[in-house]
Amino acid sequence: MATRAKAGGWLQGKTVRKGGISSTNTRSNTPQIQSTSSTVFGGGVKDASGRTSEYFSMDDQCPVCKSDRYLNPKLRLLVSSCYHKMCESCIDRLFTLGPAPCPICNKVLRKLAFTPQTFEDLGVEKEVAIRRRIAKEFNKRREDFTDLRAYNDYLEEVEDITFNLIYEVDIPQTEARINAYRAQNAALIELNIQREEAYAQALKEQEEGDRREREMRAMELRREEEEEREEREKGRRDIIDKLETSDKDAAKVIAKSRANALKRSTARSTSTTVLQSNAKLLRSRAAQSTAIPDAPHIPLQDDWYAYEDKYIIGNSGYHDFMSEAVRRDREGIMRAGGYRVEEAWERALRSAVGALDLPPLSAPDSAHCMFSINS
Amino acid sequence: MDAVEKANAERQRRWVKDQKVGEGTYAVVYRGREASTGRKVAIKKIKVGQFKDGLDMSAIREVKYLRELHHQNIIELLDVFSSKTNLNLVLEFLDSDLEMIIKDRSLVFLPADIKSWMAMTFRGLEFCHRNFVLHRDLKPNNLLVASDGQLKIADFGLARDFADPGYKMTCQVITRWYRPPELLFGCRYYSSAVDIWSVGTIFAELMLRIPYLPGESDMDQLKTIFRALGTPTEEDWPGHTKLPDYIPVGQFPKTPLRDLFTAASADTLNLLSKCLIYEPRRRISAKEALFHPYFTALPYPTHPSKLPKCTTNASARALEEVDGNVEMNSTGPGVKVNNARLKRKLASPNDDSKTRSIARRLDFTKQTPQS
Repeated sequence: MATRAKAGGWLQGKTVRKGGISSTNTRSNTPQIQSTSSTVFGGGVKDASGRTSEYFSMDDQCPVCKSDRYLNPKLRLLVSSCYHKMCESCIDRLFTLGPAPCPICNKVLRKLAFTPQTFEDLGVEKEVAIRRRIAKEFNKRREDFTDLRAYNDYLEEVEDITFNLIYEVDIPQTEARINAYRAQNAALIELNIQREEAYAQALKEQEEGDRREREMRAMELRREEEEEREEREKGRRDIIDKLETSDKDAAKVIAKSRANALKRSTARSTSTTVLQSNAKLLRSRAAQSTAIPDAPHIPLQDDWYAYEDKYIIGNSGYHDFMSEAVRRDREGIMRAGGYRVEEAWERALRSAVGALDLPPLSAPDSAHCMFSINS
Repeated sequence: MDAVEKANAERQRRWVKDQKVGEGTYAVVYRGREASTGRKVAIKKIKVGQFKDGLDMSAIREVKYLRELHHQNIIELLDVFSSKTNLNLVLEFLDSDLEMIIKDRSLVFLPADIKSWMAMTFRGLEFCHRNFVLHRDLKPNNLLVASDGQLKIADFGLARDFADPGYKMTCQVITRWYRPPELLFGCRYYSSAVDIWSVGTIFAELMLRIPYLPGESDMDQLKTIFRALGTPTEEDWPGHTKLPDYIPVGQFPKTPLRDLFTAASADTLNLLSKCLIYEPRRRISAKEALFHPYFTALPYPTHPSKLPKCTTNASARALEEVDGNVEMNSTGPGVKVNNARLKRKLASPNDDSKTRSIARRLDFTKQTPQS
């Protein structure tokens, strides 16, 4: 296969979904890729918009069955987890009955672990996949280190691990290193993922704001043009009417209506500035949202409910004379209105134990005694 | 001069009264400042002399509850002193309210902004409820916004503490559009769930930018609610047909909230629907609401300092009010410099604004135990 020779072609971005640039290409138009397999293969390297662009060339040939694009225009090559290519029909044939060894390197493979190919060079494919995996966990930032030296050491280590994985040096030790790192930095990793998400969110908001503003501006512009055209039309008609009916000097009439038109157009331009200032306001909000970060929601900002274990409301309620009316409420009128006698009981109990924390907790045992007033 | 008078004079000296910013039935509101620090405050002067049966009910309620509730999301009562025959409440100065913000069409709300306001509202309300206080007049107009964006619950003129078992409460509370169905059915025994319904309608209003359930009369209010949320069945709300003022108002089918709130996320609609459950006992509580996934889901609630604010400056509005747009039948408490013409009135059943203060005094007698 002549992949090496064509690496330059890929670097110029010519091959993505555009058909082969092979000199032996005899077909004038690109055949549509149409999967011959019923399995939907996921994965692959996604671009920023979440799409996978699949590599595709006229010279494709399946290394297993030697079928090529000339024999089978629907040929689609997929990549295994050991980075060997084969066509969909070979995959169906070999792996439909369960995991089987790769016909090239004998590593045991599964059908669903095949992914579409994005890059012409499978080495690049592999490196991108590994770097993505590493970046997900090794996501520390400069702020997480006290000095530049420590940060550089960390980057060095990440590069080291990546290199080992790509060139398959000391795989078990490297995996162990990754696991150790993950265990040590679980909290920080989580935090950095959240930061990343928040940043993406802010970016999205800003984009949304910009888009809205652009739309509004375009709409305003259209409306204005329309208005201006109408006005010009009206002005012209006016002049003609006036020339027709008045007996004044023609030149004077024209000059007067021109002056009127000018006045109107300046009035219009001031109304535009109001809109623009509005748009500016929106933009400044978008800018702000990156300056002061939004904090996540904290349900309660005090420890009030930490004290709740000082009493327990009796399960069967209380047969006090105060709540007799509620307990006798056969019609359920108090129930239907939402009145809760439990709230009254809770209030009574809370007031009863309210002073227990005063004076301060010199004797912790007495402060934590439970009250249960059951009848 | 005895000790009490001396203490009062000392307190009075701490505060300086500036210009008048509004007037209600029972109070005049002035802008003021603390003499030593220059901190802006609002001073509410309550006219005592004109009521032959003493202080107005809502003034007593306001002092009673605000003295006890100190929380970031509840308006702070800084001081109380008397001058001549008047009682003065010194409250923190807040320049806008949520209603003004909702009505300002030049502002754009992000979903995160609404989340932030709702979180602050629920936090303030949870604090009231944990202290066994019902607010009973929640509406955008009573949610004031400080200059740093913090939302504060104000106007405790209709607040009361949770009733003891068997004691009746009045059902003529809460501005009609925000009043829950159990109060419209004349229920005299209710709980904190009434406030949650109000918060639910405010939540919807924040998304729609217009009042969610604008009924024209108490009857029409029920119809409006049922049209929006479907007529409750005995299963939805056991026992509601036995309520004192129950009247059948027609059958309306349930429509999913999704039809009206097309852009809202699933979490948002879930919380909204839990605030607007017909059976009060199943309605979500303020504490449960704070733990609802809506608040923890992305996007995070907007930092208060970044929330949209009204751009019109307060002094211009203050002048306008003094010019003669002062609303004489204002619902009273709540120190805000709001546009009087836009204010929603608390409607009493006869819906006559003149009887407003009388209706409130009637409340007082209704609250005495019946047994």
